[in-house]
Amino acid sequence: MVAHSRGARAGRSARRLNEPRPALVEPGFDGTPRRVDRAAVAVLREEWRVVDRWWTEEPVTRRYFDVVLESGRNAVVFRDEEKGQWFAQNA
Amino acid sequence: MIACILIPGFELRAALRARPGLALRPAALAPAPGGEPLVGPVTAAAEAAGVRPGMRLGEALATCPELVLVEEDPAAAEAAWEEMLARLEDAGFAVDPEEVGCVFFETRGVERLYGGVERALERALAAVGSTWDPRAGAAERRFAALAAASVARPGQALVVGDDRVGEFLAPLPVDLLPLQAAEQQELRELGVRRLGELAGLPGGAVAERLGPQGRRAWRLARGGRRGRVHGRRPPAEIVERLEFPEAVGNELTLRRALGALVERALARPERDGRFVRKLALSARLVGGASWRRTLTLREAAAETDRIRIALGPKLAELPAPVLELRLELVELAESTGQQLALVAPTGRELEGRLREGLRQVRASTGGGSVCTVVEVAPWSRIPEARALVVPRDD
Repeated sequence: MVAHSRGARAGRSARRLNEPRPALVEPGFDGTPRRVDRAAVAVLREEWRVVDRWWTEEPVTRRYFDVVLESGRNAVVFRDEEKGQWFAQNA
Repeated sequence: MIACILIPGFELRAALRARPGLALRPAALAPAPGGEPLVGPVTAAAEAAGVRPGMRLGEALATCPELVLVEEDPAAAEAAWEEMLARLEDAGFAVDPEEVGCVFFETRGVERLYGGVERALERALAAVGSTWDPRAGAAERRFAALAAASVARPGQALVVGDDRVGEFLAPLPVDLLPLQAAEQQELRELGVRRLGELAGLPGGAVAERLGPQGRRAWRLARGGRRGRVHGRRPPAEIVERLEFPEAVGNELTLRRALGALVERALARPERDGRFVRKLALSARLVGGASWRRTLTLREAAAETDRIRIALGPKLAELPAPVLELRLELVELAESTGQQLALVAPTGRELEGRLREGLRQVRASTGGGSVCTVVEVAPWSRIPEARALVVPRDD
């Protein structure tokens, strides 16, 4: 019997839509992104915080940034304050 | 006879038209962004310095430190190629373009007009123009015509009679065959360097070793099939362009601009109610480079929304902000209407059709590929907690 490959098995179970993807972000001194995936940030359009589930063992503390890169591409990235990592997500 | 006009390194020549000073210096076409770092066609000066097309970029720069890399200009190359094909058509040749820089045509219809095959080829070379260094070849078989054009000198026409095809092809290198680099390498490792050596092998053994591509190459090495050349339908010359006051990279703005271009192109009276089958979207980018993508619609259409939706994803492939966006209706269908169903499917019939469509998608892409989005907490502030993607296997 041939076992299912990991990809095939993962494809058959329910998954979250719009999961955060790890992003390569270089922040400035004030914590705002300067470069996203090696592209310079041209405009910082918006910034907001999401603090949720603080009453659970998996609290969510994120600082979101909606930026326009020099290439003209729009990107939304956030810093996960719990994990200390940057992610990209369609917000 | 089947004739072939070949212009080696056409993309580089087209890109150098904007920088003619580089033509006499060592220059090469830069690797495509995101692709393997291999240089494209090179100028004669670069070749004299030891740079070969397909060489690794690092090796090419080490071989010739003064090598200038020229960025590809696909829109300019396409425009120059189209002009050239139009000039050949004006001279009476029903052209069948193979790719940019290589075109076939049948000489039978124009031999009497120009006084023979050689004279017709001379006329075709003159129509192309000597600045492009075109080469011409003619034979009874398509591959032999291409091989003849490949070995002809710039501005020369080489005619190969059918009785001499085997003898003509035998000493030519196997590089002429349309094979992948790995297959070419395998042939070389087997000690097969000339077409004659490949043609001399048993066909079954070649097919067993190299697969169907090898079998096709073997057949070509023996001259190939006679085949026929089908002249193309001249393209519709409906072009709409939009110039931006400053470079635009925002996808939303570009999508709006595309919508306006589609509307303007469809409203052109030359379209005469005909449906669009093939389109080309091109752009002039910041820094002088260009970008171009063509799209053939599965079903000819004349609805703005359908065309916009089909072209929209192409905008995401733009490598840099855009100064000018251009839309061409390359090919129009003859039909001016669409057969609609008298009664639109509803209820069980519609459900059955949808199920059949999903079954086909599943069959081609595997289980788990058809999913439903289920909202679980649309109010959540955490984006990934709002919905789940659930596979449908029904």
